[in-house]
Amino acid sequence: MVTTTSPARDTAPQPAAAGREAQTYQPTVDICDRGAEVTITADVPGARPDGIDVTFDDGVLTVHATVPARPLPGRAVIREYGVGDYRRAFRLGTGFDASQITAECRAGVLTVRVPRLAAVRPRTIEVRG
Amino acid sequence: MSLIPFRTKRPTGMEPTSLATLADFRHEMNRMFEGFFSRPLPTLPWFDTIEPGQWLPTVDMSENDRQIHVRVELPGIDPQDVDVSVSEDRLVIAGEKKSTAESSGEGWTHRESRYGSFTRAIPLPESVDPANVTARYDKGVLTVELQKSPASTSRRIPVTTAAK
Repeated sequence: MVTTTSPARDTAPQPAAAGREAQTYQPTVDICDRGAEVTITADVPGARPDGIDVTFDDGVLTVHATVPARPLPGRAVIREYGVGDYRRAFRLGTGFDASQITAECRAGVLTVRVPRLAAVRPRTIEVRG
Repeated sequence: MSLIPFRTKRPTGMEPTSLATLADFRHEMNRMFEGFFSRPLPTLPWFDTIEPGQWLPTVDMSENDRQIHVRVELPGIDPQDVDVSVSEDRLVIAGEKKSTAESSGEGWTHRESRYGSFTRAIPLPESVDPANVTARYDKGVLTVELQKSPASTSRRIPVTTAAK
């Protein structure tokens, strides 16, 4: 079972650079555990692929996506969402192959695949007659 | 240990999620009342903006003297699946967010994203020229740029002093 968490060493939200909206948001995520790998898909609209950091340390996967400000010209009529960086951490535990983690971002959706070590993958054992 | 404060991307008030919940609630109430009365509950106009099971994307809108800009967060959507239509006083954005291979199938799943069709009708503050609209989808964000009708463009009236 994967739990979403913030690592203990994360003492405070990252201060945003001057001129940026200071708020950091938790992205909406889907998490799927298929046995051989865990897939995390996070909605990060507005984030550029080269502005996304994915780290895996001590069983905790952390996703941080930098979102450039995109002010609309003129005066605001409707404001239903804020624009800021995305950050979220997931406690996956042990048994994962950190060297084989892959991440891609398309159309504002980040997909991270975390494969399990071959030794701990679920196996079907053939029964001989 | 201080956690990063969870802040929803949606503000309080009449937010899409509560509209969806209200639509579900209305559906449920209709179902209950139909047993007692011959016709369903009277419908409030804004209840009709969303059907049960649908979701609504969030919208930002701004205007200046000549243009109206609308920006909608639509991550994970094929631009081919988005339909943008404009009348003089209304912008309608409809489409479908298709469930990905990752989010369906065998295994344990934790799902926060909403999938399926959406329709968002946004009243415009001033009438626009329906023939002069551009829509662009980039990194999960749809930006629509509308030009105000020349007739509705606000005009600055100079205040003159009375001649002596």
